[in-house]
Amino acid sequence: MADPQWRVPDVRVALVGVAIVFAWLWVGVSLYRVQVVESGQWAEYGAEQRVRSREIPAPRGTIYDRSGQAIAMSVAATDVIANPSEISDPAGVAQVLAPLLAMDVQDLETKLTGNAQYAMLTRRLDRVDALEIEKLMDDLDIRGVYFRDQPARVYPSEDFASQVVGFVQADTLEGLEGLERLYDAELAGTPGYQTDERDPYGNPILQGDSEIIPAVPGVDIRTTLDPGIQIAAQEALALAVEESSATAGWAVVLDVATGDVLAMATAPTFNLNDRTNVDRETFRNRVVTDQFEPGSTLKVLTIAAAIEEGIVTPDTEFTLPATLEIARKKYSDVGRKDERVMSVRDIVAKSSNVGTITVQQLLGNEKHWEYLNRIGLGRRTTSHIPGEVSGLLHPVKDWCDSVCGPSTGIGYRVNVTLLQMAAVFATVANDGVWIEPHVIDEEIFPDGTRTTFQPIERPVFSEETARTMRELLAGVVEGGTGRRAAVEGYRVGGKTGTTQKYLEAEGGYSDTAVVASFIGIAPIDNPRIVVAVVLDSPTGERIEGDRAVSLSYGGVSAAPVFAAIVKAAMHGLGVPPE
Amino acid sequence: MALTAARSGSTYLQRERALKPDVILVLSFLLLAAISIVMVYTASAPRARSLGEPESAEAIKQAVFAVVGVVAFIVASVIEPRTIRLSAPSVYLASLVTLVVVQFTRVHDGAQRWIDLGPVQFQPSEAAKLAVILALAALLASETGKVLSPTRIAQALALVAIPAVLIFMQPDLGTMLVFGFFTVVMLFVAGTTGRQLGFLMFAAVGGVVVMVQTNLLQAYQVRRLTAFLDEAGSSLDAVYNQQQSEIAIGAGGLFGTGLLNGAQTNLNFVPVQASDFIFTAIGEQLGFIGASLILALYALIIWRILMIALVARSQFSQLVAVGFAAMLMFHVFVNVGMTVKVMPVTGLPLPWMSAGGTAFVVMSTGLGIVHGIWMRRSPVPGERSIL
Repeated sequence: MADPQWRVPDVRVALVGVAIVFAWLWVGVSLYRVQVVESGQWAEYGAEQRVRSREIPAPRGTIYDRSGQAIAMSVAATDVIANPSEISDPAGVAQVLAPLLAMDVQDLETKLTGNAQYAMLTRRLDRVDALEIEKLMDDLDIRGVYFRDQPARVYPSEDFASQVVGFVQADTLEGLEGLERLYDAELAGTPGYQTDERDPYGNPILQGDSEIIPAVPGVDIRTTLDPGIQIAAQEALALAVEESSATAGWAVVLDVATGDVLAMATAPTFNLNDRTNVDRETFRNRVVTDQFEPGSTLKVLTIAAAIEEGIVTPDTEFTLPATLEIARKKYSDVGRKDERVMSVRDIVAKSSNVGTITVQQLLGNEKHWEYLNRIGLGRRTTSHIPGEVSGLLHPVKDWCDSVCGPSTGIGYRVNVTLLQMAAVFATVANDGVWIEPHVIDEEIFPDGTRTTFQPIERPVFSEETARTMRELLAGVVEGGTGRRAAVEGYRVGGKTGTTQKYLEAEGGYSDTAVVASFIGIAPIDNPRIVVAVVLDSPTGERIEGDRAVSLSYGGVSAAPVFAAIVKAAMHGLGVPPE
Repeated sequence: MALTAARSGSTYLQRERALKPDVILVLSFLLLAAISIVMVYTASAPRARSLGEPESAEAIKQAVFAVVGVVAFIVASVIEPRTIRLSAPSVYLASLVTLVVVQFTRVHDGAQRWIDLGPVQFQPSEAAKLAVILALAALLASETGKVLSPTRIAQALALVAIPAVLIFMQPDLGTMLVFGFFTVVMLFVAGTTGRQLGFLMFAAVGGVVVMVQTNLLQAYQVRRLTAFLDEAGSSLDAVYNQQQSEIAIGAGGLFGTGLLNGAQTNLNFVPVQASDFIFTAIGEQLGFIGASLILALYALIIWRILMIALVARSQFSQLVAVGFAAMLMFHVFVNVGMTVKVMPVTGLPLPWMSAGGTAFVVMSTGLGIVHGIWMRRSPVPGERSIL
């Protein structure tokens, strides 16, 4: 049939066929391995290289004043970023973009030139403006300019309670100072994540899987700050600092019944929205960060303790020498050079050092220290005000037998913050019960629930003693060192304080610099608020009628600030004049 | 009875039967061409869209190539094998000329492989494959029925070596390897002795070693060829292609992701996907089932070609068919193999599937010639003639 000479090739053709069968089996088995056995693994590997995760920033919580106006808030903003390596015509793009971003054309061109992948052009541009620019870039077909939504922090009232509110780092929105720092974790919220699939060029895939874990917004914080009183305090302080050339002044207003801080001001202050060229010193909330020896204002506690202990009454009289010498240290009173009989009432009104020391010695160091400690000196009043220091109250076992008691009695050897002293007066105003001062009223959670701040309360002395003390403090304003604290239409009481400034750098008291203070209660008969004012190193004089009075005295420089704040606060709180 | 009738002579009816096309081969070919248009579309449209170019441009081009290819197939089927054999030397020489010309074209992607012809580009190395098969078949068929003489073998090697060296200079290693493969297969079928084949194998391996040692092989070629063996030590680039194609094919699973639904294919993770890596588009979108069916189509065609080789009327025809089958097999095996990492990455197209005109038309022409052999087969099984 077939010619035998073809047999060899036929067999070899068949062998080629066999080789092909083997080749196909090899490829087929490999395909089966990849597509069936290992399919899941490869699919997962592929998905992994497509998935990109992007953080969704959580809106930072708002900080409100007590009336519900925002002091610090987050607004939608946009960062404008360039990828210079994608920009072919930097000069042209700079021409278009510079005016829109309020940038210099030359600077912008420099930023857009080169092979870098990233150049930040403008941070926190208004979202609406950014959208317009984005559209323009599209229309002009300019590539390489990118827009990234980033919330910005804005402080609408600019310098309202700047040192209390604090501020954030502009880029990361991380709290750096004040409440922004203390409550950073709560305010920040939890960022969400958007996970989606991207092609090799990083463009999102329309039909790709995507998952969004929404951001949890930050907690809103409502402070106790009263906008009217805060502004009045800031303005009055600024005026006093200017008049007296004080290096600084600070004031705090407490609601005596609740411990709410209605105002907390430090002068000079600064604009929270623009901190360039602001001295870092200005960032301190001096009401809680700066300690000083209170001087006469602390005499109130010495007398109150003695009354509470039944050692004296307002009418108890003492024959006081012109000078009192204890361990070769001489104590005397301002404006008194002879021996005089004075009642406790007079001692407070005239702020007598000799009289207060006499009472302190009757009280004794142990009892004295007990009251100082109980009313909160030597430790922080609360953990809810940023930056607060504890002050210094030596333990009574460390007190010397000679001058330690007397000096402490008239407000030396003790370091206090103004907030601690305001709380002392608030205790007097609040019928002897100390209340933890606080600036946080409530935290408002994203789900709408709220937690209201519950201040600690601690009775220090009786209602009776408190009422007696208020009477004595009224006397200071009505016929003593605090006349300039008087407020028309309201009976107020308070105490002046003027101490030599202790210079830590030199380890001694300054000859000229003083810390002038006034702390008072208004109205004295039905107390609503305590106002405490301090001026650091006030100098100069004020002409009153035909005589010049030194602004170094708390009664002269600080008392009018008290009066101005009380006046505004009484109106603001709706307290009718008598 | 029918058998006796068939033997009795060349009746009209018998001629009619002999000219009947091979339905399986033709349908498989047409099916591959049609699938090719779809696959090129899925692999190129999303990429074009993201670049803002017309989406179906590549697919339309491929459709045009397919039509030209079918026409070439028909025309080649009609031409008498005798004519083809006689024109083989001139075709071979023309092919050499184009291979020389391409040496003077501009460098494109690190290689000189294309000659610009207005809207299309001609790739001489693709055409050379067919030209060399024809010339080789003509040369080897002239010594019928005997064991090949060493002189003839040397002549055959020289005939292959000239275009192979020209192609190697482009550089295009893959095509050179195709030449080697079909040459060996054709020599085998043409009747070399086992000893002769053994000597040739030894010489080939020795040659490769010498080329590597003397740096005649470009560094990237060696790297590409060895990348799939040693993933950690290879350059990222060489590994990336295969990794992405393996991900694509693996992600396809048993049934595939569906057309235009393949994340890898439609998002351009796989490089040169419409051309060299078109099989990944099949693997991902049509799955193991689809990929197996495509492989089955190639198997059918190769099976038919080998059957044609068995009924070929002349040794020339038989060698053409075997040579073509070998080339086809090598392309499919190496191309599919590289997508699943059993073969290194070489620039060999998947016949009638990869985007690209020259390869498509040349392959179609080759298949047409083989099909022409079928149509002119002897009505008497086993009957052979010298020419």
